[in-house]
Amino acid sequence: MTETEAIALIERYLTGEMPAREAADFEARLRLDPVLARQAREFEELTSALQQYGQRREVKKKLNAIHAEMEKAAMTTEPAFSFEAPEAELETIKPVQPKWRIFWNAHSTTIAVAASVAILTVFSTLLSIQLWNSMGKQTMRYTELRREVENIKKNQRAINRAFNRKVAPKAEVNPGSFSGTGFALTENGYFVTSYHVINDADSVYIENKNGSRYKVTEVYKDLEHDLAILKVSDPNFTSFGTLPYTVSGNAADLGEKVYTLGFPREDMVFGEGSLSSQSGFEGDTAAYQISIPLNPGNSGGPLFDDKGNLIGVISGKQLDLQGAAFATKSTYLMTLADQLKSDSATRVSLSRQNNLSGRPRKQQLKKLKDFIFMVKVYN
Amino acid sequence: MQRAVEYTEEALISGLRNDDDKALAYLYKLHYPMVSHFILSNSGTSDEAKDIFQEGVLIFYEKVKDGTLELTCQIKTYLYSVCRRLWLKKLAEKNRFSGTLDSEDFISLEDEVVTPEETEHKFSVMERAMNMLGEPCRTLLEDFYIKDNSMQDISEKFGYTNADNAKNQKYKCLMRLKKLFFAAYKTAAPAEF
Repeated sequence: MTETEAIALIERYLTGEMPAREAADFEARLRLDPVLARQAREFEELTSALQQYGQRREVKKKLNAIHAEMEKAAMTTEPAFSFEAPEAELETIKPVQPKWRIFWNAHSTTIAVAASVAILTVFSTLLSIQLWNSMGKQTMRYTELRREVENIKKNQRAINRAFNRKVAPKAEVNPGSFSGTGFALTENGYFVTSYHVINDADSVYIENKNGSRYKVTEVYKDLEHDLAILKVSDPNFTSFGTLPYTVSGNAADLGEKVYTLGFPREDMVFGEGSLSSQSGFEGDTAAYQISIPLNPGNSGGPLFDDKGNLIGVISGKQLDLQGAAFATKSTYLMTLADQLKSDSATRVSLSRQNNLSGRPRKQQLKKLKDFIFMVKVYN
Repeated sequence: MQRAVEYTEEALISGLRNDDDKALAYLYKLHYPMVSHFILSNSGTSDEAKDIFQEGVLIFYEKVKDGTLELTCQIKTYLYSVCRRLWLKKLAEKNRFSGTLDSEDFISLEDEVVTPEETEHKFSVMERAMNMLGEPCRTLLEDFYIKDNSMQDISEKFGYTNADNAKNQKYKCLMRLKKLFFAAYKTAAPAEF
């Protein structure tokens, strides 16, 4: 049997063209003849491979047709591009061809990331700029606030300057009111205050708790030590009365209990403290440092020690230090009084008797209060 | 739009099984963009995308046809996995991909991967063999085994006097093809033919 004949047989058998009896014969031969069996196997394999190959070629042709049609459709209907929505893709399927599309396909992810980053950057930059600006505004507010404070200070200084220069000045260091404080030096009308209180004044009046009000004129001044001696020029004036205190000619001791009376407001105010240093502002040896809370208006007030000796004249305080006020030492007042004595035609007799010594503070104050005056300055 | 009906997955599969070209077209157009995107964004060209996708569809199609498909996921996922495999393999062949294929845990496709390789090989061998066969054998075999034409038609087309002559000619052709095919397909092919 030639191979061709064998193949014909096999084919007939496999396609079922063989009559049943012959087929049974053939099957028996297959079992007995290994060569024939192998030929049959190979025939089957070959034809099925051939058929599958043919089928696959067919399908591939179809697929190519579909692909071509798809691209054609995509060319004509320019589709929205979305990989996320496969349902929409049928119509949106695009040609793979155009260069820009290939580029887009290959780099869309990168581009999307880059765009996101760019957008993110833009917005975060905007945000941070805004933040920065608002922070700037805050600091500006702060500076404004500070400026306001500075303005207040400036105003105070301006007011001080105004007071000092024109109206009713008082403390140089103490900003403040239109007035200062002063006290009687002699029975017959000599009167002491700080020079800066009456500086540039047109007219000066003094007024005490009793309502006595006198016009005074400047007779002597000591710019260096910020002292001024005035004299009551009021015709109605007779006498202050006997002074209960004496002016001390000696330096007071450190730690001495001291007090003052003054007019930081319309009423008389008592202030108490200690003598905390024997030198004054920036080491000024002409003054004491005292720990009495002082306010504008206290300037020119008397500083008494515990026994009621006048040991100084209040001059001012240091603004940037807590509880540091200064008083001109009374020795300079004594010097001034001595000069006044020698210069003046009228009698200048300082009190020599201290009526306060040994009395309780309240008693002292009662006696003192008639001799302490508010100095009102006009110009 | 020439967008046809929407197919459900089941309808799609049964459509493929029944040679519904519309179903095939639908499947193709539906999933092509996904695969093409994958390949284009993994250093492939659109031609390569087309090849890979068609191969993937063929595998799917053939499995549907001979009923060996065991679909445990969406068609989309299946196609994507297959095409991804194919593409990674191709990349590896091109030495442009150095990663390990076996570390894939995307979806287990062990069988699917083996089969296409083998059939692919078989088909390429078959194609070569058919081309080497020359005319008229090639057309004759194609007409009979692939196009299922009757021997009668074939003998008329090729001018044989009767069907038997044509049949003899066909067997000769088949034997030549067998030689060519098995020589390339299996080195262990029997020598005595």
